[in-house]
Order: sequence, then structure tokens, then C-alpha cells
Amino acid sequence: MDIASLFLGGSGSVMTSFFSLTFLIAFLPVSLLAYAVVPHKAKKFVLLIASLVFFWLVSSVLIVYLFLTILSVFLFGKWLDKIQRTMKEVLSKTEKEKRKEIKQGFVHRQRMVLLLAVILHVGLLLTLKYSGFFADNINSLLSLVNAPFEIPVPKLMMPIGISFFTLQAVSYITDVYHGLIKADGNILRISLFISFFPQIVEGPICRYSQTADQLWNVKQIEYKNLTFGLQRILYGMMKKIVIADRLDPMVKAIFDEPNNYHGGIIFLGAVCYTIQLYMDFSGSMDAVMGIAEIFGVKMPENFERPFFSKSVSEFWKRWHITLGTWFKDYIFYPVTSTKKMKNLTSSARKKLGNHYGPLIAGGVALFCVWFCNGLWHGAGWNYIFFGMYHFVLILGGNMITPLANRFFKAVKLDPECFVYRLFRIIRTALLVVIGELFFRSTGLMSGFGLFGRIVSDFSFSGLNSELLKKLSIDPQDFIIIGITLVAVFIVSLMNEKGISLRDKIAKRGIVTRWCIFYALILFIIIFGAYGFGYIPVDPMYANF
Amino acid sequence: MEKLIEILEDIKPDVDYATCTSLIDSHILESLDIISLIAELEEEFDITIPAIEIIPDNFNSAERMMKMIERLQEEY
Repeated sequence: MDIASLFLGGSGSVMTSFFSLTFLIAFLPVSLLAYAVVPHKAKKFVLLIASLVFFWLVSSVLIVYLFLTILSVFLFGKWLDKIQRTMKEVLSKTEKEKRKEIKQGFVHRQRMVLLLAVILHVGLLLTLKYSGFFADNINSLLSLVNAPFEIPVPKLMMPIGISFFTLQAVSYITDVYHGLIKADGNILRISLFISFFPQIVEGPICRYSQTADQLWNVKQIEYKNLTFGLQRILYGMMKKIVIADRLDPMVKAIFDEPNNYHGGIIFLGAVCYTIQLYMDFSGSMDAVMGIAEIFGVKMPENFERPFFSKSVSEFWKRWHITLGTWFKDYIFYPVTSTKKMKNLTSSARKKLGNHYGPLIAGGVALFCVWFCNGLWHGAGWNYIFFGMYHFVLILGGNMITPLANRFFKAVKLDPECFVYRLFRIIRTALLVVIGELFFRSTGLMSGFGLFGRIVSDFSFSGLNSELLKKLSIDPQDFIIIGITLVAVFIVSLMNEKGISLRDKIAKRGIVTRWCIFYALILFIIIFGAYGFGYIPVDPMYANF
Repeated sequence: MEKLIEILEDIKPDVDYATCTSLIDSHILESLDIISLIAELEEEFDITIPAIEIIPDNFNSAERMMKMIERLQEEY
């Protein structure tokens, strides 16, 4: 066994993964111990120091971007607060008739401050993440018109988690602008809100009102929180190490050299990649929730069993929920709430009715959301296509809903019957797998090539032990993955029916509880994909 | 209140708006209904509903909506 690989969370850093031994047996216990032994007043500072040390360990000098973000968020908040206080003061001394006009002036100033903040934060993200992509595309255009020069393609280092903490920063400033929260005068509290170590790599994307006070008004570590938190970390570890990481070599082999395989095998690769992504991301989220729970912090959930969804629209309400909510709150409704869109909705509703009337403004907003969603995931045309693919599916789904309902009525089919619900669930999963095929592909053309191969050459011929060996996977792997997936399915099904397995286990006697606990640990140790023959896999969403 | 119920019934009929307190949480009103509703409320009550007011708490019942409308009418 390659012991060194146990200590690596991924190829990039010893700490990127919450399931690396460096994190689990060194960083986390040391942080918890320090948190437990220091006086109550100092606990929040332990959390902050742990968070900054963690970020420095995974991003080194790039921590400067985190400091700049914190400082900027703090100063913009103060600036908006100053304008708001002055406005209140002036308005209280102004006659009622003149208030509206004066208020508009202050609102305009605040809007300019907000705009500047958004340009700075999103601009930094765009520069670091997308300047290479933009330069590449400009060069492609230049070569098309035979221009005798090229612009240099910058290769900028991007700190881990910037896509996540930038959205938190923008949400904080926007919420201060709208008066939803007061600007925080304590830069240390803002620092902890932005940099809390469990969430900085892959989210969840939290709003200030959701976590800032919880983090600052820390609690003692309680027995229930500790055991529930550890259980959740272990459950996530099982998803990530037993399923996702075990599937990794196979997915990699298929997507690296797709020309070697028939369409059926590529389709199998896309299905396995979808499972891998879900298990990797939701497993990491379980660890985040679990770690936060130990500290007594309740974070917003990022997944609600997305593969039980009956439509693509529902899927995205259950997958990466905090990103979807961010786009809904800060893009979808602000776009539909512009004066032009409201007027458009009013007039369209009169002509097109209740369903299709608002669909025009909704469609424009949905386009903005999915364009940004695609681009947020990465600098590549395949990501933009991924966004547009979901935009078309969701808009299309909305457009045919009235027709489908009429059809069901005509043929007397109950859309809530089990068979039809199952059909919808499978159909949604298939549509998601196709989206993930493009998402995983190395480029848009490659994605179309893979899709074309699935359609034109859907064959599994050659799928034998020889091929599996080539794909670095064997039948035993499939058995282990299958058994673990069944376990995850049963837990999910119980949760879907509102049954909390954790509460049920907690009510059992101490012997049963610890037997379950040890069984899970042993299962992960025996069947986890680590050590010899496995390359540690970075958390997949950390790269987005 | 009557006018509000009338608007709601026009946008999505067959719902007991007088008693329902989970219009958003139970997915009775979806985002397209909300888009229509906002446009209609603004026109009828001469208010501006900023995007930030579009939260479940403000739209879960007719009563909550009325409270939001009255609050926005009272603003400068």
C-alpha cells in the first residue's frame, strides 16, 4: 500500500479533501481540541484562525485574494451604511412631499456603490477564471480573419473556492444595499463568515443572515452534535471514497480516449460520471455539514435527493440548492422585476393568458440564470452549452405543461400514478446524464462527438473482463459500488418519506449505535478506494 | 383584501386563498405565477415591489401579501 497517498487529499494539496488523513487525523482534531479547551470568548477566534490557516495550506500566497475580498466587503458595507444613515437623517428633517425625490438621489448613490462593488468582485473572478478563455477565443477570431498578430493568453493562478466566496461577498453587499441586513462593523465577523473552513472549498454558498451570527455566537461542543456530525462525515466519506473515487479510473479512461469505445460504453461512462459527481459533491457536502454541526453551526443544505426529481426544473431545485437559490435571488427575480419586464408581463398576460404571459419575462430571466450558471462552472464552451441545454429543457418543459395536462385529461391518465412518476424520474435522470456528458467532455466539439457516438453506435460489444481491466475496474468494484449505492438509495428513500434514519439510530441502545458506527468505519477502511492503485481524487467542485 | 383575492383567483383559480398559509412552501404558486402576481399587484395597488421582497414569507398567504402591500404603500 502506498502510505503516502493516504495523506494526500488530491493531486494539488494535502488538505483539499476533507477525507484526506491529513485533514481528518491532524487538522480537524487539532482545531476541535483548540476550540474545546479555550475559554468561551476565544472560541470564535479559534474558528477564524483555523479557517485562515486552512486556506493558507490549500492556497498558499493566493490567500491575498481572500484578504482583499474580506476588506472590500467590509468597506463597501460601511460605505452603504453611511449613505443609508445620512439618508435617514436627511429624510427625517424633510417635508413629506419632497421625501420621494430626495430618497431617489440617495438610492441612486447606493446603486452606484453596489454596481462598483459587483464590478470589482465579479471582475476579479472573471479576470482570474476566464481571461485565458476570452483570449483564446479572440485569437481564434483573429486567425479566422488572418490577422497577423495574436493577443497573449494569460495564465493566472486562481485561489481555491473563489467562485464560492465571491458569490457570498456579492450577496452580503447586495443584502446591505437592500437593507435586509445591517452592515457589519466587525471585520473579524465578516472574515469568519467569508472564510469558515468547512465551506470555503465547495460551499454551500451562504447568506450573511444564515451563518454569520451562528459562527460568531459559538457554542460548546455538545455530545449530540459531535456524534451526529461524525456520523454525517462518515456517511459522506462512504459516498466519496467507496463510490466516487472507485469510479474515477473508469470514468477517466473512457473520457480520456473515447474513440476506443462504442457508444454504449461511452453512455455507461456518462452514467458513471453522473453518479461519481453526485457522490463526490454530495459526500463532500455531508462532511461540510457534519463538521459545521460539531461546532454547533447549521448550514443550508445543498442537496435534497435530486435523483427523485420528476422534471429537470425540479432536479435543479434539489441539486446544488444554494447556487440555484443565489441565482434565483440575485439574477432571476431582479431581471423579472425590472420595469420593462413587469410591463411586458402585464401586457403579455392579457394576450397570452396566465401561463404563457409571464413565460416571456421568465424566459429572459431564465436565460440569464443559465448562461451565468454554465459560465460559473468553468471557462469553456461546453459549460456554456451545459447551461443552455438546461435553459432549453426547463423552458421547453414549462411551454408544454398546459398541452401535456390537456393530453392527460383527454386520455384519462393520472399523472400522479406510480408508473408515470417512475417514467418521469427515469426520463429526468437520462436528460441529466446527457447534460453531464457535455459537462465532463474536454470541449464542446468533443461533447457532440461523444453524443453522436452514443446515438449512432449504441453498442456494448467488447464489454468483457479484458475491457474492464483496461478501464482499471473489475467486477468486484461493481459489486462494492452496487451494494453501497443500494445503501445510499435506502437512506435517501427513507429521507424522501420523511423518516430520519439518524434520529432512529440515536434512539437505539449504545451497543447498537456503536456497532453501526464501527461497521461504517470498517466498511470505508476495507472498501474505500485509496492506497495502492488509486490516485487520490480532488473534490470535483473545488475546481469550479 | 377582496381585490387581492380576486387577482390571485384570476392568476391561479381553485385555491382557498382565505385559509392557505403555505402558497409558496407547498408549491401552489410557482415562479411564473409570482411574476404575474407582482406585475398585477404593482398596477392595482400603485406600489413597487423590489426583487428583494420576493421571499416565501411575503407570499405564503393572502394575509402576508396584504401586509407587504400595506407596508410598501406606507413607505416614502
